[in-house]
Order: sequence, then structure tokens, then C-alpha cells
Amino acid sequence: MSNNSGGSLMGKVKGLATEIKTHWNTPAEGKYVPYKEYKDIFIAVGSNYAGSKILEYIGFWASCYLIMHHYKLPYLTFSVIGIINMPLGYITALIWWFVCDNLGFLPKKTERKIYAVYIAMALFGISTIVFDYTSLFNPTSPFITYLNGLEGMNATACFKTFGTHFLYSGWVGARNIFWRKKLIPKFGRYKYSLYSDVIPKCIMVVLIGWLPVYNIPDVATRVWVANLLFATYNVFGFGNVLETCTKSISPNLQERIFVRSYPIKMSHFAHSIIAIILPVFVGMLRYEWADINLYRYIIPITFIAFAVFTMFFAGRIKERIPQPPIEKKVEIKFWDGLFGVLRNKYLLINTVVGLIDSLGNGMLPFVTILYLYTFRLSGLPYSLIVALVSFAGTPPDFLSPYFLKRFSYKQIMIFYQLSRAIGNAAIAAAIWFCGDNLSLCGTICIVVLFFMEMTKTVPTTAGHDMNVRIGDYQMYLSGERLESFAGIFGWFTGPITSFVGLIIPIFLLKFGFNSNWEVLFVDASRRSIIAIPIIVDVIGFALMTIPYLFWDYDSKKQNMVMEVLKRRAEVTQKKAEEEGVSTDGVYTG
Amino acid sequence: MSKKKIDNTEELDQVINIPDDEIWTYQVEGLAAPHIGKPYKNAGAKKALLAIIILIAVSLSCYFSVRTVQSDTFEYKENSQGYEFSKFSNTGYIKEITIDYVTEIEYDQENPDVTSNFTFIKDETMPITSIREYALNCDGVVEVINIGPEVLEIDGKSFYSCWALQRIEVDENNPNYCDLDGVLYSKDMKTLICYPPNHDQYLRTKFGYETEPYRADATEEYIRDIQTYVVPATVETLGELSMNYTNLRRIYLPEGLKRIETLALFKLHEPKDQWSNTPSLDNIYSYKTDAEILDSAFTSQEALGEVYLSLPEGLEYIGSDAVSYNQELPYVYIPSSVTYIGHHAFWDTLYEEGGELKGVTEMNVAADEDAFKDVKCGDSWRPQYDYMLFKKSISINYSAQRENLE
Repeated sequence: MSNNSGGSLMGKVKGLATEIKTHWNTPAEGKYVPYKEYKDIFIAVGSNYAGSKILEYIGFWASCYLIMHHYKLPYLTFSVIGIINMPLGYITALIWWFVCDNLGFLPKKTERKIYAVYIAMALFGISTIVFDYTSLFNPTSPFITYLNGLEGMNATACFKTFGTHFLYSGWVGARNIFWRKKLIPKFGRYKYSLYSDVIPKCIMVVLIGWLPVYNIPDVATRVWVANLLFATYNVFGFGNVLETCTKSISPNLQERIFVRSYPIKMSHFAHSIIAIILPVFVGMLRYEWADINLYRYIIPITFIAFAVFTMFFAGRIKERIPQPPIEKKVEIKFWDGLFGVLRNKYLLINTVVGLIDSLGNGMLPFVTILYLYTFRLSGLPYSLIVALVSFAGTPPDFLSPYFLKRFSYKQIMIFYQLSRAIGNAAIAAAIWFCGDNLSLCGTICIVVLFFMEMTKTVPTTAGHDMNVRIGDYQMYLSGERLESFAGIFGWFTGPITSFVGLIIPIFLLKFGFNSNWEVLFVDASRRSIIAIPIIVDVIGFALMTIPYLFWDYDSKKQNMVMEVLKRRAEVTQKKAEEEGVSTDGVYTG
Repeated sequence: MSKKKIDNTEELDQVINIPDDEIWTYQVEGLAAPHIGKPYKNAGAKKALLAIIILIAVSLSCYFSVRTVQSDTFEYKENSQGYEFSKFSNTGYIKEITIDYVTEIEYDQENPDVTSNFTFIKDETMPITSIREYALNCDGVVEVINIGPEVLEIDGKSFYSCWALQRIEVDENNPNYCDLDGVLYSKDMKTLICYPPNHDQYLRTKFGYETEPYRADATEEYIRDIQTYVVPATVETLGELSMNYTNLRRIYLPEGLKRIETLALFKLHEPKDQWSNTPSLDNIYSYKTDAEILDSAFTSQEALGEVYLSLPEGLEYIGSDAVSYNQELPYVYIPSSVTYIGHHAFWDTLYEEGGELKGVTEMNVAADEDAFKDVKCGDSWRPQYDYMLFKKSISINYSAQRENLE
């Protein structure tokens, strides 16, 4: 029997090898993707994904090592900048939304008007950087003295930060229209941004490490110059767009799932390997994570290498989904879309959950502090602990189908929130009661993190699945998925979360945390700075179970919704055929 | 009676027959009815309501956020003895503050010069009696702090990371504190509380040096005048964070010093070049004298009496991170009097260059192995180095003899 199964296995392997050889350059009948493209996907997506992950080391946020060790910007300043940028964000979001929903293809007159707005914004932004607008005000006026009193800022820095956001929004907006129009027809709607952004992105990655902006002695000047530098860096993207592109790699649903299951998942190994190797190189630097050579050599070299691979193989991945010409895209009326999503009860519940979740906004990244300020990890030990904790989530992934079948979404999410609450409470207790016993405290924290990572996988999978279902439900409600319009909820929650997000930074400031992270080496400070915000987060997680009590969207309802959608597809297809209209892209299930 | 288990993969046991003309309106039981291609009732009013809600939400958020991030320049809290100075937020132009009475800032509307258009208004009926921890936190502008006569309590972390701070001057009538040439001490001179991080700038002005040299360019004379500090013979405790981030190269500790508190000698550094800093602390010396040494300026080793390398005999307590991140420190000797060494006390006092270990490569301990077991040692108190891709603590040389001065 074992010989038989062995023979059968050998036969399968040989069959697969023959299949791959035969269809290396041309796909099998009914399929669209040749196996050669699988190899390209593996390398291209792997490089794109790893490159985008490396860029997570660079960012204008307090826990970026560059900001933490070199720029040393006051923690509250990031919140202040967020407030300065908030009102303009609402206006630019409207224009951005309009442009993106139309994929950059606008009526000539409208396009000219939007260009004019963007260029005017950019010019105003440049003017604030060149000129000091504070000279227009009385330096002793309450307005100017108020701005001078902001943490890490002064009036000049505030104006320049305000202008930088104008410059950034105008520049990004104008580029968005220009490059979409120019490149989407050639490279498709996902890949185009790589072609327009990769070279300036590489230059910016190098400049971020080499420009000695962090040596500017005056903190307010350092803040606005750093803000300008990082805003310029952010103008250019290097997102994981090739993976997004593979969502439309084939009109064959099975083939699409196959591509996403194998070459895509395997391609993420590149990042896993880098996540282990990179800290080893960092550990060899004299000042480890605090060594500027991390940003001068290690990150630029690694990123540029992956960027080159990405660009070399990007052209070999094709979008193959049947779709109407971009110019013929259906236009959704603004208010219909908006009212449509507001009727979706489940989006509302998610919004409430998100609002409660904002209680923890402004918290320092606990895991970073645990690794760097409690354990002082670097090199291979750092890599191994990070890999160990990350790996904790992998085995339960295999059990996801069972849990998703056996438990309702409501049960899974309530369990998830409670497990976060219990885990975080255990961490807070460990820091509070044995914070100066590093071995004990650290071990408890690692064990709890491991447990929390293990219990995260199934809810995450359930969440992804439910998001698709919510889209189906929206389609049942409004006839469209209205994914863009779902952003309207952020308009309501944004003001609240940005205010709530100030509470913890103000609290941290009181307990000594500002621009110098090394206060975390003081055991007593670590207790106040870490444990108390975690306790606030515990309360948040406990409260987040409440909205889920109202979640009643189950599989039965989903099946019913799908029946309605299928029926709509059938009827509309029949009608279209009767009218002689093309039915390309119709899928009736 | 068994409860039926949930099975989310169950198929529908019924087929829904939806007539062609009801496909856009068919309502699934338990879900809201579809609303497709129809105008909304009272759409105008709803639009207005939504716009108003968003406008109010954004305005309120901006208002409260702006109020929240606003800080008064000086903040105080009343306590049983008077007032506690709890927080200082620099306007960006205040280089000297006096902490004696509750103070407000007043601006001169006629003066356009932002560096001088303000005055401090003191209320002498409201004396400041204490200074809270982190009252000044990461300030980069204040150079001089004057402490008034009625300040009875100063937390060791009150002036945390004040990068520009050159001097702390204490009123001579203060019963609990004093200063020695701009360095803060307890009145009895038994505790060194704060050696300002930018004290070297004050010393440079005092001794006539125009600029701060890079490490490689510093002359022996410069090191003696600016980067050498003699802790007075009376001192028994180097306070928490007391000398951290200073640019000292040589520190002379008195025999009689009992405690080096948490982060007391943490990360001493100086400029390496225009781009970066480098560790500065070249060595710690101890001295034994019968003379009353109250002058912190270094003249010669002979003037200090008997001088020897590393930590003083009689030292009992070394706090966590007490001497950490001083990679230029070549030698450590732990006297037999030490009973407690905090976690990471000597962390990162070692580095590798060209395949060679530099810094503290061996921990010299006066006690023998058995006696040292009685010393309470925190985690990772010794520095570590790369060893086969992992980290290994340096070895301990028990029953060591103290190295002689060269």
C-alpha cells in the first residue's frame, strides 16, 4: 500500500513537472497564466513586498529609529503637526476622492481647474518655506505667543509645517493626475506608480540617511525641516502594488486563488529572510540600532537592491481581468454613495469599534520598548525572538477553517477583544509588579505576546472574510460595493480620534517621555510610561466587545444576500443579451 | 438535550424565487431593505445635517485639541508648604529662569524683538517650595537656572535632558541645596544632584576657549580645564541621572563615595565630527585624602592625595545603568565593599573594531568567587560582545588586584 501511495506521489510529482515544462511559456487551455509568470511573480512580488517592508524603518513617527536616536523630536510635536494638518486634510480628501474614483481621467475643463488648485497649493507651500510668514503678525500677539508655546514648535515652524502640507498635497495631487493619465494605459491601474516613483524614492531613501538635518541644534527648526524632508520622501511611493496586481492576474477564479496561495505566499519568504538577516547586520554596527550607518548604508543598499529586482520583473506580470474601458467607468453620485454606506449597520459597528480602539492612540510601541529598552536586544537574538513571536501565528492559521466553521464572527471577535484585554492586563501587571526584574518581567511579556499572536490569526482571517461579506451586503443594499465611500466614516471619527490621541502623549510628557527615549532606561519611568497606557488599552479592549454583541450578520444572511446578488446578475445579463449589449465581465456565480 | 453546534458552511436549504421586477427591492429577512436608484426622502435636510455634524465635529476637535496642546510657560501646583513647580514650556527664547516664586510671563507689545520682549512677573506671596520630576524635560534653550531660598525639595529628575543647561545657581540662603560653580549639590555637599549637560560651555567661557573641539583635537590643557571633574571629598552619593550626557573624560571620585545611583554616569559623550558624537569618558579615578577638597577644578593628581584607577574603596551601591554606554572606558575594578550592582550597570562599555574588542573587556572584582555570590547583581550588569552570532558577557576576574596608574 505504501509502495502504491509512494508510486502515486512520484507520479504526481512527475505529472506536475511535465505540466510545468509543457506550459512554461503558454498557459494550459482555460488558464491564462503561464508557469514562467509564476516565477516572475515569486521574484517580483517578493522583492516589492520586502522593499516596502524595509521602508517601514523610515517614517516621520516617534518610534522610527532615525527619529528616536538622531532627530530626537518631542513626542507631542507629532500630535501638534497632526492638528495643523487636519483641516486641510478634509479639503484635499474631497479632491483626491473625486480624482481617484475616476482613475485620473477627468473632463478637460475639470482637469485644468484641479491642476490650478494643486499648483496654487504647491506654490503657497513653497512660499511659506521661503518666507517667514510670522513677520506679518505682531510677535507679542496672543496668536503668535500661543504658537511659540506649542511643544517642540514656534510660530515660524508652525507656518512652515502648515505650508509643507500644502506643498505636499498640491504636489502629490498634481502628480496623481499626471502619472495616472500617462502610465495607466501602458502599465495598468496598479503597477503604474512603481514606474513613476521608484527612482525618486531611491534618491530620497539615500538622502534621508545622509542629509544631516538631525544636527540642526534648534528643535523647532529641526522639526519643520524634518517634516519637509519626510513629506518630500512620502511624495513617492513604493507600496506592495504588484501583489495587488495579482488579484486580477486571471479571469479564472481557481487560477487566481492558486496564484495567491502559492507563488504569492512563497514570495513573502524574501521578507522573512531579510527580517532575520538585517538585525544581524545592525548588531554588527558599533551603536547598533542607534548607529546612523543603519540609515546611510544598510537600509539604502537593501532597499535599492530589492527595488531593482522589482522593476526588472514588474513588467512581466500582467493584469488580465475583463473590464470596461477606464473612460467608461460608472460614475457614483456623491450623496447616493454617502447615504448608501451610512445605511450599512455593520460598517457603523466597525466604526464604533474603531472609535473605542482610539483610546490606545498615542501609546508607545510596547514591543519595541520590550526588545530595545528592557531586553536591549540586537543581532541574531533580536531576529530570533521577533521571528519566534511572529511564527506563533502560523500554526493556528491551519486551524482557521475549523474555527470559522464552528464559531460565529460575533463569538470570534468577542474572544479576540477579551484575549487582548487579558493579555495586555498581564503585561501591565508584569511591568508594574516586577518591572525591575528584567528576566522575569521580560519572560512574562514574551510568553503573553506569543499567546496573543497565536490568538490573533483566526480573528484576523475572520475579519478579512467579513470585510468581503460586508462588501456583498453593501452591494445588496446599494447595488455597488461603495468601498471608497466607506471612507466617510473616517470623517466623523477622525476629529474624535485625533483629540483622544492627544491624551496619552500629554500623559507621557508628564512622566518624562519627550524627545529622549532613554528615559525608558529608568525603571520607574518605564512603569508609568508603559503600564498605565496599557491599562487604558485594556479598558478599550473590554469595551470593544460591546458593539460586537449587536453583530447579527451570519452565514445564513450572507447566503441569502448572495442569492439576491446572483439573481440580480442573472436578470440583468438576460436583459442585456436581449438588448444586444456586451456582457463581458458579468459573473453570475 | 444537546445544543446544536454552529456550522457556518451549511448551505441554504431553500431556493429564493425572486421575481424579475423585484430584484432591486427584495428584502432579506433580518436585514435592511435595499435602496437602489431611488431618491432619498428629505435628502436636502439629510445633506445639511451631515455637513453640519462634520463641521461641528471638526471644529470641536480643533478647539479641544488646540486647548489640550497649549501649555502655560510656567505651571505650578499648590501643596501644603507652598507651591510645586510642575512644568516649564519654553517659548523658544527663555534662556534663564529663576525658580523662587510663582511667575507669569508678560509681553512688551512695543518691542518687536522676540528674544527680549518679555518680562517675568513674580508673586512674592506664593513661594515655590518644591520642583517636580521632569519639570524641565528635554529643553534645548535654557542655559541658567536660579534656585530660590525657599525651594526645599528638588527631584533628581527635575532637569531631565536640558541640553543647553550650563549652570544651576542656588540662593545662598537655601537650607537644603547649594551649588559649586554651577553644579547642584545638597547643602551638606554629600549628594551631587545635577552636573548640567552643557556645563562645559560655561567652563569654556570661563577659561577662554572659543569653540568646542572635536574629540581628536582636544588638547591636554583643554581636557584638564573642561573635561575633568573632581567630585568633592564630602560627596557620598552621585544622584540619579546626576552626570548623564555630560562631556567629561576624566572623573575623580572620593574614597567615601557610597552610592552611584541609576544612570548617574550614563552615556557621557562629546563631538566626534560635525555629524556625530562619540563616547567621552576615558577613565574613572578615585582619590583618598585627609584634606578638605571642596574645589571641583582639577590641578594635579598630587593635589588630590592618593589616586588610583576605577571605583573607590568603600563604594556600596552601583545603580542600574550607572556607567552604561561609555565605550571609551578601558577599565573597571569593583571593590570588595560593593553589595549591589543594578541591571545593565556597565552595559555597552565594550565594542568591536577591526576584529578586536575595545573598552571594558574584563570585569575586575576584588572579591573572590564565593564572596561575590553575596553581591546582589541585576540582569546583564556586565557588557556583552558578539560571540558566534549571539551575545556573550565578558568574563569576571575574581580576586583581582587593582591596576596601577601608569
